Amino acid sequence: MAEGPRRRLRLVSTLLIGLVIVIVAQLAQVQLVDHSFYKAWAEEQRERPIAIDKPPRGVIRDRNGYVLAGNAVMCSVEADTAYVVDVEAAAAELGPLLHIPAAHVKQLLRSEAPWVQIMSPVSKELGDQIAALGLGGIRVEPLWVREYPEGVLASHVIGFCNAEGVGFYGVEGFHDTLLRPQHVEWEGPVDLASEQVPWRVAPVVLPQPGAGLVLTLDRTVQALAEQELARSVQEYQAEGGTIIVMDPRTFEILALASLPNYDPGRYTDFYGHDLLPFEDPAVSQQYEPGSVAKVLTVAAALDAGLATPETTYHDQGWIEVGGLRIANASRQAYGDQTVADILIRSLNVGTAWLATQMGPGVFYRYLQAFGFGRPAGVDLAGEVAGQLLLPEDYERWHDSNLGTNSFGQGLAVTPLQMISAVATVANDGTRLRPHVVGRRVASDGTVSTYQPMVESQAISPQTARTLIEVMVRVVEEGVPQARVEGYRVAGKTGTAQIPIPGGYDKEGTIASFVGFGPVPDPQLIILVKLDRPKTSSWASETAARSFRRLAARLFVVLGIPPDGTRMAEAVR
Amino acid sequence: MSDFMQWVTHGIKRGRFEVSPRLALRLFALVVVLTVMAALYLMLVSRTAARGRHIQQLEAELFRLRRENEQLEVEIASEGSISHIWERAIELGFAPAEDVEFLRPVAGEP
Repeated sequence: MAEGPRRRLRLVSTLLIGLVIVIVAQLAQVQLVDHSFYKAWAEEQRERPIAIDKPPRGVIRDRNGYVLAGNAVMCSVEADTAYVVDVEAAAAELGPLLHIPAAHVKQLLRSEAPWVQIMSPVSKELGDQIAALGLGGIRVEPLWVREYPEGVLASHVIGFCNAEGVGFYGVEGFHDTLLRPQHVEWEGPVDLASEQVPWRVAPVVLPQPGAGLVLTLDRTVQALAEQELARSVQEYQAEGGTIIVMDPRTFEILALASLPNYDPGRYTDFYGHDLLPFEDPAVSQQYEPGSVAKVLTVAAALDAGLATPETTYHDQGWIEVGGLRIANASRQAYGDQTVADILIRSLNVGTAWLATQMGPGVFYRYLQAFGFGRPAGVDLAGEVAGQLLLPEDYERWHDSNLGTNSFGQGLAVTPLQMISAVATVANDGTRLRPHVVGRRVASDGTVSTYQPMVESQAISPQTARTLIEVMVRVVEEGVPQARVEGYRVAGKTGTAQIPIPGGYDKEGTIASFVGFGPVPDPQLIILVKLDRPKTSSWASETAARSFRRLAARLFVVLGIPPDGTRMAEAVR
Repeated sequence: MSDFMQWVTHGIKRGRFEVSPRLALRLFALVVVLTVMAALYLMLVSRTAARGRHIQQLEAELFRLRRENEQLEVEIASEGSISHIWERAIELGFAPAEDVEFLRPVAGEP
């Protein structure tokens, strides 16, 4: 070959080989050296987090399966602004339907944001109507809204859930984590409209709804308790009140009613109010229990072996404890009295005498065993511990506290702590943890049942039975207003002064009654607490009567036969 | 042929490219295998996409049914709420039970 063509051929070959080397080098740079960078970039453009439809929050039911808190479907009207074909037409259609000016809709649709929410929530019917219009770029997304089909019923127990799906107060607040649905999000390929492209099979891990809760509450008992509370507040002109109904054998709360209450579905109505009614007074507000606490003083003395119901003492109308002169509420002297009379006549001097016989060590050990001074441990949000000063707290505790505490003054409890303490007596001296959740139903259907938890053996079963008999005499001889025809019931009144800065309020009292029955096999315990009743300041004239009416109805509703029928069955 | 191309190809000697039947068969087999593999891959991808779409539809249906179910449950609960029942009971003339008598079945008697 001639020299000229050969040189040209070599030149072309060299150029081509050089070009190939450059291309290969570039390919190696892109595909090998910068592999991870380009891979991530590509995935970033193509793969986006895809949120799978959010499942509902767990349903709350009463013990018989009735829904107390469920989920309704509402809709959110949204727009992908880049895909709105005809802004004028869309605004003209949506404005009248959503009852907002079309100009406002137009402004939203012309916004530079890629996504705008036009209105949320709207009813499902309206959402369906808008979806049926088939407006390009307009989307109707379903969303869950918490619904309380029973309205105000048991509002304090249930609490409420806000628009973001966060629970507050009551069971909604306490079990928020359990009730919340699982949120599942996965990375996957999306198209230009950010819709999932199904060219890869999605992981079959569907988000699960929140766990369902079955409460110990009975909606019928709850409704009757609320009805009785409303009647009592009106009849005795009280400012508010609380009624708790419990099963003393299990410490299951059957009803928990407080006034004032609210509709959890309309909690936003109270925005801006100074006094919000959301806190449950039964667990979040403390009060001085007054004479109901005498039951515990007598229980302690009996259990410590320092007295029997027949033990006598001389009541001169007053007693001095720690330099403080303590008198009976009636300001009278009763002479020789038995320990049983202390409860029947509700004698402050008698309980103060018993407390001094026991001494602070024994007395406060029993009060703590009955659950005073610490939260009862109920599964409701916002429970407080109450207040029990102990001799160890030498800066605040005074010797006279021993005397005043013995009849329920100078210490503070929540209504739930008080009913739990008396329920301990009804339950042979064993204090369990009060609870409102009976069962938990996981999203896969697994049911976990609440197991009763023993908190303490406050007094012996023998002491408890002796005390119950004395408490029956309290109702039969001391507070006939609380008697329930056909049933033996035990109980104790409490008319407590209300502490204010610098002393006690001379105007109002807190009237309460805790009673249980039928004796000797108590199946119900009821606490009635009325705040500042005006028709009478005495619990025997107010709370005791409320107890009788409610107990009489509940015995029938719960199918508890009268004593005569039960005894006859027992004999057979 | 343009002057440039002629300049480029001037020095290339035309040769005879002879392919043996054996080599041709191997090349053909390779093409067939590659085609089959490509077809299988396409089939697999399209089937996966179809399955993915089907699963998406089933999920959407599941969520729709779940929503309807929850909605119905809440509506039923509202209709059967205590306040509703109370109103209906009063309308129908029911009254709270009073003086309830508990009957004791006696063994042996009907």
